[in-house]
Amino acid sequence: MSDSIKQSVKDYIMTTFLAGESPDNLTDDLPLISRGILDSIATLKLILFLEESFGITLEAHEADKEHLDTLNQIAALVSSKLPATASR
Amino acid sequence: MTDSTLAMAALKAPVAGARDGRIPLLKFGWIVVQLALVLLLFRQYQIENSGFLLLSQFAFVGFLIHAHLPLRFRLPFFAILSMAGTALLFGVVNFAWMFAIGAVLIGICHLPLPLGVRGVLLLSMAGILALQRSGMVGSPWSEAIWPILGSMFMFRLIVYFHDLRFEKTPETPARAISYFCMLPNACFPLFPVVDYKAFKRNYYDDDAYRIYQIGIDWMVRGVVHLILYRLVYYQMTLAPAEVTTPATFIQFILANLLLYLKVSGLFHLIVGMLYLFGFRLPETHNRYFLSAGFTDYYRRINIYWKDFMQKVFYYPALFRLKKLGPNTSIALAIVWVFVATWALHVYQWYWIRGSSLIVVQDILFWTMVGSMVVVSSLYEMKFGRKRSLGVAQFSWKAVAVRTVKSYTTFWFICLLWSFWSCERVDDWFALWHVLGGGYTLEFLFWPAVTLVVSFVGNIQIVMPHSDEKAANRPWILQPHAATLGIVVLLIGISVEPVYSRFGVTASSTIHSLRHSSLSRLDAARLERGYYEGLTDLTRFNSQLWEVYAKRPANWLDAQGAGLKRYVEGFAQMEMIPSFVYETSYGTITTNRFGMRDRDYAEQREPGTFRAAVLGASSVMGWGVSDGATFENLLEERLNREFAGAPFAKYELLNYGVQGYQPPQQLPNYERALALQPNGVIYVATGRELTRSANYLAEVMHKGIDIPYPELRAIVEKAGVTKGMGEVDGQRRLKPYAHEILAFVYGHITGHARDHGIQPIWVFLPQLREGAWQEETPETVALAEQSGFVVMRLDDIFKNEDVTKIRLAEWDDHPNALGHQLIADRLFERFAAERARVFAAGALAQ
Repeated sequence: MSDSIKQSVKDYIMTTFLAGESPDNLTDDLPLISRGILDSIATLKLILFLEESFGITLEAHEADKEHLDTLNQIAALVSSKLPATASR
Repeated sequence: MTDSTLAMAALKAPVAGARDGRIPLLKFGWIVVQLALVLLLFRQYQIENSGFLLLSQFAFVGFLIHAHLPLRFRLPFFAILSMAGTALLFGVVNFAWMFAIGAVLIGICHLPLPLGVRGVLLLSMAGILALQRSGMVGSPWSEAIWPILGSMFMFRLIVYFHDLRFEKTPETPARAISYFCMLPNACFPLFPVVDYKAFKRNYYDDDAYRIYQIGIDWMVRGVVHLILYRLVYYQMTLAPAEVTTPATFIQFILANLLLYLKVSGLFHLIVGMLYLFGFRLPETHNRYFLSAGFTDYYRRINIYWKDFMQKVFYYPALFRLKKLGPNTSIALAIVWVFVATWALHVYQWYWIRGSSLIVVQDILFWTMVGSMVVVSSLYEMKFGRKRSLGVAQFSWKAVAVRTVKSYTTFWFICLLWSFWSCERVDDWFALWHVLGGGYTLEFLFWPAVTLVVSFVGNIQIVMPHSDEKAANRPWILQPHAATLGIVVLLIGISVEPVYSRFGVTASSTIHSLRHSSLSRLDAARLERGYYEGLTDLTRFNSQLWEVYAKRPANWLDAQGAGLKRYVEGFAQMEMIPSFVYETSYGTITTNRFGMRDRDYAEQREPGTFRAAVLGASSVMGWGVSDGATFENLLEERLNREFAGAPFAKYELLNYGVQGYQPPQQLPNYERALALQPNGVIYVATGRELTRSANYLAEVMHKGIDIPYPELRAIVEKAGVTKGMGEVDGQRRLKPYAHEILAFVYGHITGHARDHGIQPIWVFLPQLREGAWQEETPETVALAEQSGFVVMRLDDIFKNEDVTKIRLAEWDDHPNALGHQLIADRLFERFAAERARVFAAGALAQ
């Protein structure tokens, strides 16, 4: 499940923010916030996407480097919000 | 890709398992060598203040121990080191108070009470401290601790309290102390708002050598920013009244923005020092002068502030509002952020200065910037923004497009910034008149220079970056090699035998860059405070505020107690008669005639030399008790040593009024005639010409009638009309300053001669040498031509230790010892000029 979340988020980021870039360069550990890919506007768009796509609700304090900086962190955050059966 | 990640990548790969904070001996040795050079750099350029040099030595020695401690002991060691450093600078008693206040504030955050209750307790505590800061409620600790105490807690306590809500791991006292009492904070009231999560998360999360090296790189970068700042501050800044051509207009707005280099320099220095103790914090600024739009600018300048606002204000608002739709929620959240930014600047100013800062420019500035960020963000929401993973193809077109964007953004921000930092809104609007004509090639100089800088800078931004390639570059192309080169170069040219070979202009410029002092303009402002008691600096971008930040809130509060009163007419104000007031430096007493002096009979007795002493605060005796004014000391000595030779009695009437300008001495002199003086002593203290012209600009601006036809004619000739902006008036009257002062002096001496009054002109210098001296030769010549008996005390303070004869660092008025020196020297001059001053026949007996 985590891999599919990651892929879905990656697709969204590539299409919305990194059009024309090679998907190979967006690795699972690439820091998105530190690199300026996810700024406040992009973060809002991503949050809306995550809430809508996965049916979860995120909190304001989760919009930070600890939760959204890499694809791995985003996938972990989404997984933690999904019901136990869905995240398996 | 940011500089920090590039710098990190550029260093060689760490040795295996290198996140335990250990560093190989050879690399440690290399770091120590660099730190020794950095320390020398600080010393050579007197970076910030003597306190900072002391603290740096303390920190670097602490680093030598810290770097070899087991990791678990390092944080407690840093906490102890930070406390010891603060105690070193502030003294043990002051530090104990700071620690106690801090302990109460942090303790409240951890009380086992509901969040809301703890919040109310914190606000109550802050309210009590705020009353103490204002001076309304007394406090047992020194006033000196307020700016630093404020900078430690005013923002970081908000972040800390915010983060505690979501923190799962327990906090330790060592971490809390380290966070609030961070070692460099003891020197800097302006301190970056370090994020608590980042402070915890990034602690030794990378190879120790890499962390230390980046710290050194950033400290050196900070020094470079500070040296560039000095270059701008000393050489480029102009007063609004000096903006007379389109070229000076450009220089004015550019210099205002470039002064921000001071903040970015300090923040690099601070965060770089924290790196030495393992805190691998994010960078504070990122090539903000190359921002390609407003949103980009907000992201690049003072990044910690942006992160703080985002975390505490923006996201909480955005999440609450997101049901309104992305565009509405973003717009409202940004508005909220900018309202909070304005309010927090007022709040920050209050804790640092102890006074409120509510000025219209601030409100308008934040409104404009906020509006532009809203528009820019909504545009970005709709059309997106090109982002890159840093591996895109380089193209000159991309460089050109980015250069156009960053160049226009830069100059637009220059304009906005000049508006924000102008002391008065009408001053800023008056500047625009100079764009009506007078264009020369000089006008293009700064636009061309900034275009080149922008273009070159944007090549570097657009250039693809690869971490791997950066790491494999030869040593000489890596960031720390550049750091070493810069350090060696800067130290090299700071040595006098070296820089003195570069010619007069270059060597005097380098010499000035080596010292931290007030610029020509700020020195003039300090003088202005000296002459007029105007110490209400309202901006953060002047170095002067640092001096005033140390001033106690109720420093010599006689003004607030109503020592002077406003009156109708040209003089505008006078001393209140029959007034007694106790101040921290002694009693101020005014007699029934409104002089700060003992009482005198209305009729001058025969055989008495009675002289009206005209002047400003120095004559009045600002900062000394009644008996300690030089006028009083001189009067006593004349009566003691000159009794009967030639006069039986000597009476010096103190007509000094704090803040009086030369033209105000005209009505002051006329007032003094009521007591039938046979002498008048005019005490000049410098900048007589400029202050005379400026005073006429002030009265015209206020619409006050000028009762002297000659002065009215000059004002008319200069094209100054009632209600005209003061800066505009100053600019127009500047060429007539000589004529104005000649009238003031001539009017007094003319009347005095006709009425048997001996006119004496005393030149009393300020305690420190400075730009105020520029006008002295012309002023002295005018006094001599006007017929005064001239007594110059030019060298009176030359060999004196200024700290012993001034009131305080923020107040250059002479103290009691200074007044004694003046009285002694004046007596010597009276003795030397005795025959001339008391010439029989010249005086009305």
